[in-house]
Amino acid sequence: MNKVKRRAMSALLVAALVFCGIGVYIYRYINHGAEWATFAANSSVYTSGVLNTGTLTDRNGVVLAHAADGAHAYADDSAVRRACYHVVGDYAGNVGTGALGAFSAQLAGYNPITGTYASGGHEVALTIDSALNVVALNALNGRKGAVLVSNYKTGEILCMTSSPTTDPADESATIADGTYLNRCINSTFTPGSIFKLITAAAAIEQISDLESRTFTCSGSVDVAGVTVTCTGVHGSQNFEDALANSCNCAFAEISLELGADALAQYAKELGFIDAQKLDSITTAAGSFTEGAAGSANLAWSGIGQYEDLICPYSMLRLVSAIANGGSVVEPTLLLDNTNDSTTLLKTSTANKLRDMMNYNVRAHYGTNTFPGLNLCAKTGTAEVGDGTSHAWFTGFLLDDAHPYAFVVLVENGGGGLSVAGSVANTVLQAAVN
Amino acid sequence: MSDLAVVCANAAHFLLPLLALVVLLRCVRSMLSGRAEPETWGYLVTPEGKVYPLLHWECIIGRSRSADVTLPFPDVASVHAVLMRNDRGEWKIHDLSRSGGVFLNGEPVRGAEPVVDGDILRCTTHMLKFSAATEEHRALQEQRRTAAGWKIGPGATLFFLTLFQLLLVLEFIVSADPANRLNIILAFFALILAEWFCYILMRTMDRSGFEVETIAFFLCSLGLAVCASATPDEMTRQVILTIVGIALFFLFGWWLRDLSHVKALRWPAAIISIALLAFNLVAAQALFGAKNWITIAGFSLQPSELIKVAFIYVGATTLDRMFRSKSILLFIAFSAVCVGGLALMGDLGSALVFFATFLVIAFMRSGSIATVLLAVTSAVMAGTLVLSVKPYVAQRFATWGHVWADVNGAGYQQTRAMSAAASGGLFGQGAGNGWLKHIFAANTDMVFAMLCEELGLIVALCAMLAIVVLAVFTVKNAAQGRSSYYVIAGCSAVTMMMVQMALNVFGSLDILPFTGVTFPFVSRGGTSLLSCWMLLAYIKAADTRRGGSFVVKPPKPVKSGKGARA
Repeated sequence: MNKVKRRAMSALLVAALVFCGIGVYIYRYINHGAEWATFAANSSVYTSGVLNTGTLTDRNGVVLAHAADGAHAYADDSAVRRACYHVVGDYAGNVGTGALGAFSAQLAGYNPITGTYASGGHEVALTIDSALNVVALNALNGRKGAVLVSNYKTGEILCMTSSPTTDPADESATIADGTYLNRCINSTFTPGSIFKLITAAAAIEQISDLESRTFTCSGSVDVAGVTVTCTGVHGSQNFEDALANSCNCAFAEISLELGADALAQYAKELGFIDAQKLDSITTAAGSFTEGAAGSANLAWSGIGQYEDLICPYSMLRLVSAIANGGSVVEPTLLLDNTNDSTTLLKTSTANKLRDMMNYNVRAHYGTNTFPGLNLCAKTGTAEVGDGTSHAWFTGFLLDDAHPYAFVVLVENGGGGLSVAGSVANTVLQAAVN
Repeated sequence: MSDLAVVCANAAHFLLPLLALVVLLRCVRSMLSGRAEPETWGYLVTPEGKVYPLLHWECIIGRSRSADVTLPFPDVASVHAVLMRNDRGEWKIHDLSRSGGVFLNGEPVRGAEPVVDGDILRCTTHMLKFSAATEEHRALQEQRRTAAGWKIGPGATLFFLTLFQLLLVLEFIVSADPANRLNIILAFFALILAEWFCYILMRTMDRSGFEVETIAFFLCSLGLAVCASATPDEMTRQVILTIVGIALFFLFGWWLRDLSHVKALRWPAAIISIALLAFNLVAAQALFGAKNWITIAGFSLQPSELIKVAFIYVGATTLDRMFRSKSILLFIAFSAVCVGGLALMGDLGSALVFFATFLVIAFMRSGSIATVLLAVTSAVMAGTLVLSVKPYVAQRFATWGHVWADVNGAGYQQTRAMSAAASGGLFGQGAGNGWLKHIFAANTDMVFAMLCEELGLIVALCAMLAIVVLAVFTVKNAAQGRSSYYVIAGCSAVTMMMVQMALNVFGSLDILPFTGVTFPFVSRGGTSLLSCWMLLAYIKAADTRRGGSFVVKPPKPVKSGKGARA
């Protein structure tokens, strides 16, 4: 019997396996319970696949979306509905990355303790200022484009609007092509000269005698038999002026010297290649093709042309990091939420870029264009091959009371400074005042 | 519905998990923390005066340190002899030395010989004088042993369980369709009556161990709750089945009391099982349209569930047979037929349950890990062969681990199970308030998720832990087991329940492949409920605490207190 008694322990082995299984389940329950509960088949919070509970507001308490008892509604004001269409998303699920989908667990009132019991609708406040979104959408004035403004000290996104848009409450509205796409986070575009910030960051860290160099521009430069054209004839200039002039000849020279690997590595480390996370939302991944050593393609790739594609959100992270001494407080859409910081640049590199971007505005773009704003910025006019250009304007305010970073894109809009710069000015003036 | 009922139902929402924990913890403390002194059935005394108490009905004498009577001499075989007592108090010595090295009063023992008080046993050269414990001695000893339930009153535990059931009823009064309300109330009251009837019956038999039954009643109330939520029109059927199950539990337990009866029917049980399986395999599909069901006069029967009980009945064995290779070979053949037959029926879940139980029985009988590994290897090879011949079988496992990639196809049930389970949180949405019940097989294959959704994760985990507690309890009792038959049967029964539960729960949660077996006592199912109650009798048979179990006979009471205080 003694033998049998010992062998009886084998049943305990099965019991131990059961405990392992319970452990696995509890682990998954804690980590994935929210995803499971917000599966659209969950009839406690979804009716026919549509979330049936929860209220979404902007940072000032303006209701952006509300669902209860099988009915749902959006903001009262049509202008707000249109300006916040992409950031809020829609109950029909046409916008894949809206807050209604991304924060459905919070809206459903889910937590691992009570599940969705007695949820009755929870309020989720976004960091967005819906009024600022309206200003931004109006400034885009019907052109395709995107406007992003965030507080680089807290990571809060104040403005996120994308055009074309629609009124989700108006079911008969005609839907223009690309309406469902949030251009701020779900699309990539040719960056043009704003990519020079990346090339400049690489140059500052990799080229030791950069400060003492001069770059000569005669309006174009021949690279391996291909002519790389510049926007003007800039003559002899130092590195600061080369960025301020956005001189293609100078940046072609720098790109060829850095090489494709270094450029690709910086683009990756600064977050332009991989998809990023905005809270639980996955943003679009960019791309950078390495041109052959010494080729015009390599030169153009460092100027933000060739096959470069970036997501506006990635640029928001970079300028936020520059403004913030090299590390970015990861942006968020949830009010009262602070994400961790990620270091993108050395502090010295960030400060150098900050000063250069400030110099851009003071020396070249004109402070009069941006009255009252202590601005650091970079323009971009990205040729897209059909004779038109994407207008870009990105940067941040050197202002402790208004620590705002921004990215403005006007698709096929024309010149960066004149088109995107004026949209940025309108939005920033509204944000500051 | 009055406001008061709604307020009470809300309070019940948090009280239910609390009561479930109280019931479970009281059972755990009572079953696992109480002292369990061994019973002494006799003594072996060496000429030098060394006394070996005989603590079981079956004792191994041998050189091995794990023998019950260890004779550490090179001329003694590792398992030299087995001394066995039967139900009537008669002892026999069995020679297992294979060398004729066992002598009784100087005569060599051939096979087995009866032994009486005062006989002299000799293992090669080593003398042992046998003395049996008298009935009086035993009665006295019994009085000194700790009674089951002396510390944690079984009545109070049952009272808490009744509160739990009443709260469930309250929740259903609020949530259920008024047309079903009466049915639900009556069914729960029938269950409450049945459990108190059992309790009183136990007390009249002077038994105080009621934890195993309490756990079964706890699980049955969860089964009733699932039924009330998913199929309220079947409440009467469910509660009648439960009562029939309880009756079978008593009858079968009563049968298990006498080992000589039990042993006499092992062969018939094996033959009937195989016949039933064969009939099912050959005829069921043609006659009833399903491979693992037999429908007779409106009652459908799942033979594999009944064979579960028979499998253990046949597989468990006493020590005298345990070391015979013929015995284990026959059992291996029987197991192969059962597992193979179930696999052929396409009932892979049941086949796995049988196989796991087979492994435990095989290990307990042989003590050899090599045997178990050999069995597992053969099974894996057979499985691989089947998969290569019939690739569509592999298809059934293809979804495993990827259910979220196919939420409206092969992952339909599991994704909904997980979603509903998460939705319930720790305390649930309230009895009857779930939506998972509308999904096919929610009340059988996904019953854990249904419990999570409606009653919360705490109650659902209590249900799982209740089964595990039965297992730990049975293993703990093995130390005081009378016959290895009961110990092996008890351990096999709990293994069967645990494996079945693990396949059910983890299958629906995509931790294991989804095989569609039932959660013991909780899942809807007629035959499976009956077989669970019968398996429970094996667990009771292994409970040798004083007054622990009706399956275990107590000694005859001491007459007129003579020597009772000595």
